Amino acid sequence: MEQLETFIVECPDATGAKTTRSLILDTLSDLSLSRVIGRLKVYMDPVEPVFIFAALLRLGSPSIKIKDFARVDMGALGKDEVKIEIEKEMFTIKLLNKLWAKYGKENIEQPDRKIIIVKTDPIKDLDMLRELVVEEPQQEVLDRLIDAIALRIIPEGFRVRKHELSSTHVLFVASEDTLKPEWLAKGQEILESLRREENA
Amino acid sequence: MLEPMMYVGGAYKHSQLIELVEDLGGYILQKNIMQSEVVLLMLVPINDIPIVEIKSKELLGKLTRAPLTGSEIATVAPTLAYHHLPHLDCDVAEFLRKQGAKTNMVGLARGVGKRICQLTAFERDLINEHDVAVFILGNYEHCIIEKSKKLYEGIEIPIVVTGAPELRTEDVPNATAYVGSFGRILHHLRHAEELRTLDKLAQVIGKVLDDVRVEIAKDPPSVAPPRIKKEIEENIAEIVDNLHPLPITLQMNGVRVKMPYEEYHEQIENIKFVEGVTMKEVARVLPSKMRNFILIKALPKSETGFSI
Repeated sequence: MEQLETFIVECPDATGAKTTRSLILDTLSDLSLSRVIGRLKVYMDPVEPVFIFAALLRLGSPSIKIKDFARVDMGALGKDEVKIEIEKEMFTIKLLNKLWAKYGKENIEQPDRKIIIVKTDPIKDLDMLRELVVEEPQQEVLDRLIDAIALRIIPEGFRVRKHELSSTHVLFVASEDTLKPEWLAKGQEILESLRREENA
Repeated sequence: MLEPMMYVGGAYKHSQLIELVEDLGGYILQKNIMQSEVVLLMLVPINDIPIVEIKSKELLGKLTRAPLTGSEIATVAPTLAYHHLPHLDCDVAEFLRKQGAKTNMVGLARGVGKRICQLTAFERDLINEHDVAVFILGNYEHCIIEKSKKLYEGIEIPIVVTGAPELRTEDVPNATAYVGSFGRILHHLRHAEELRTLDKLAQVIGKVLDDVRVEIAKDPPSVAPPRIKKEIEENIAEIVDNLHPLPITLQMNGVRVKMPYEEYHEQIENIKFVEGVTMKEVARVLPSKMRNFILIKALPKSETGFSI
């Protein structure tokens, strides 16, 4: 699927719409988010004042656990240790950092490039270590997305906000005054129209 | 009457130009040497400009009028958040600096929103210490107009407003001038079109400052600000070791001295001019709102009855 298949900024103020469009593009490229957003629609009315930001997301790969790139086994017989045999070295640094934080540097040994020994009770920790999440690309992307929308795109004065966030969509309704129900309804409506486009 | 001029040329023999300007009774405000090039910001007596022009031609340099020279400008952003910084605000401040002005960036505490924006008393006083305030506002016509109705309350210096829509100055309440095509831009201003907009802003501010100069000339200060600067440099030795950028910053009718008020204000007040008067007779030495600096405002001729 293409990035930004729909990108509409609706605003009664034509110049405002143009600059808002360029500032959204700048922010998305600054935070390398352009691939994440599939369809995007913004409605802004400075007179009301309301700012609605609705987008359908295309998040990348799910989170990566130790078992996805390494074999986790019991260590040497009779010793309290877990042996992690790494198959893809790409995640080693992140894994080491996680283990150091969890067990302390003195309890982690790396006798070989691809072998990590964790000094802990294998019976207790083996399954937990297999499922340990080393990298969360989706969460990182969502963090950046919130940074982009809430801290950079929505006008700063619009401090009353309501948002929805899932792995498939994001919706922000913001205003300087108390949010009106019709704005929230409009937000849902915009989101629905994006979904209809997606499914068509 | 002194004219603000900028000289750009080779470093070779540029001291001849400096000497010429000083001999003519002008002042060198700033000298920047960048490798083999030199940029001089100076004040030249208006009648002697042709002489300086001949000299600069001889040195193969370029002499231009730089109306922003010798002014201190506040670039005001609604807040210091990502929405406004680093692009645009810094670009504007830097561009004006290149044109010869000293710019200070002011981020307001509660400057956001069209209904909820406020200016605190401290911010107001701080901005009023400058010669011009440039308010960098956003994208929407309605917001700029609504905001302008109350944000500039109590500001006595000229106000230049920037924003995205092309509005006439009359449409923006309380503004001295308005410059369009800015808005909230989140990238570095480097396209030809954007640079032209910055040029236009500098031009507009230059015009505003020229108006201020005309206004000041009606009742000229008893002592020219560059003269105050020169006297302080000659009388207070510690200024040499001061690490602030531009330890003595020129303003249209005074200077800002970046030294602690408590320690130095008496020393400055008692500086004696060769004409026989002391500083406190021709200028007010005040504590500045900016840190604990000193703000010196020259008294007008109508108050002292003489000018030196």
